[in-house]
Amino acid sequence: MYLRNGRIGVLDLSSGKASEQGYSEDRGLDDSSSIAVAEALATEHGQDSIVFGTGVLTGSFVPAACAGIVRAGGSGGSKIMPLMGFAGFELKLTGFDFIVLKGKAPGQGYVWARDGQLEFVAAPDMRALSSWGRTDKVRSEQGDAKIQVASCGPWGDACLKASQLVVNYWGGEDKVGTASALGAKNVLAVAFRGMGELELSEPDKHFEDSILLMREHLTTLGMSSGLASFYPNLARDDFSGLVHRLVGCYGCPYPCRTYLKTEEEPRELRLVAKEPGYLHYDAAALSKAFDMGIDARTACKILSACAKAGAEPVTVLSHCASLGKRIDLELVSAVLSKPSDIAPSGARNFEDSFPDQATYDACLGLGLCPRYWAKAGFDFEAVSEYAKSALGRPLK
Amino acid sequence: MSSSIILHIDDKADYFGLVLKTKSGGLVLARPEGVSEGQQAPGSGGPGAKPILLREPCDLCGGKAKCAKVCPTGCIMVVD
Repeated sequence: MYLRNGRIGVLDLSSGKASEQGYSEDRGLDDSSSIAVAEALATEHGQDSIVFGTGVLTGSFVPAACAGIVRAGGSGGSKIMPLMGFAGFELKLTGFDFIVLKGKAPGQGYVWARDGQLEFVAAPDMRALSSWGRTDKVRSEQGDAKIQVASCGPWGDACLKASQLVVNYWGGEDKVGTASALGAKNVLAVAFRGMGELELSEPDKHFEDSILLMREHLTTLGMSSGLASFYPNLARDDFSGLVHRLVGCYGCPYPCRTYLKTEEEPRELRLVAKEPGYLHYDAAALSKAFDMGIDARTACKILSACAKAGAEPVTVLSHCASLGKRIDLELVSAVLSKPSDIAPSGARNFEDSFPDQATYDACLGLGLCPRYWAKAGFDFEAVSEYAKSALGRPLK
Repeated sequence: MSSSIILHIDDKADYFGLVLKTKSGGLVLARPEGVSEGQQAPGSGGPGAKPILLREPCDLCGGKAKCAKVCPTGCIMVVD
């Protein structure tokens, strides 16, 4: 199989035992959607299982083939969050195409997947840390600053539906309370790192095809101005005045991720302050803040505080508004310091890239960023043509 | 496919640059504030990245450097 490792890692958190099962087409798993595969694995291992997965094209040269998914289930049905940045790709490089977390750990700790190994690391002291502190701890403990870490914060630990899983310090992917599902399993973070290599059917052809496609896209799209290129309401002076740089996810030529500096001069290229600012790609949260009259600098600090707490910012801001007080960082911090079971706002971020859920699922399920592909124009058949040189066959 | 050029990611803000392993054995670190040469980069950089010292030195892909070709912004260029 091309672009696949052929392995699914299964970690029984109750016993701490890890096992593997083969991933191949003869298992009857249609690889055109990581979402469908994750659902099939949840059916096999239990609906409360949490499945981290990659799309068949994740890590290919197809533009913006960066996406993985996290599937969490429970009494309310299954929920899917995208895994963006470099996290989806890194997950594939661990040697597992999918990772299933089943059962509940007897104590708190984090899941550590790397180079074909999967384990639960007990870390009861981690609970006292924010999501940022947890990322730092995992990287420091495992001795590699490049480990991709999806962390819960105190809100996830408390199993609150308004929690969000934070990926490498930043929030925006989890609008479905995945962190609460991990919290219920005593999992404080999930970390992955790998040096795997993926085989391609025709590497040179796939490379050339993908470059052609990328150039076609860029001819139409032009140069990105970051998140404001996707959401014109964010093109405000106070926002653009703080922009330090744009950050692409793996393979993305038209980045939406926009880093704003609030603690030092935005035009200074070097980063001197310990926490100079915040990386924005949560358009829903920023829009909510701006709609409430919050300026860009304060919005940065609020989103940063929400990320550290592992709380979904649109919900937090809506809750603050309901208190009838002036909304500022102080009020938000007070709310965040006391995790409470407030009702999720139902905010969507990447999920709103396409007007319909089916196209979103099809795009994300392949491992492609829905935000980029909605902009560039997603067409399953056309993508399938470009995937041929990678997979040695069209997409099914 | 493997590469002789990797991301250099410096800190929690994803501040990044590129590290190139040259044929002479030296490493070239390119960051927004400038280029430094002849020293080992502090990080191995990027997802799944093998340490740069384990990689093949750059041979410019036989004359048609793929990294320059794939760079969407033209930040990576081959200069004679």
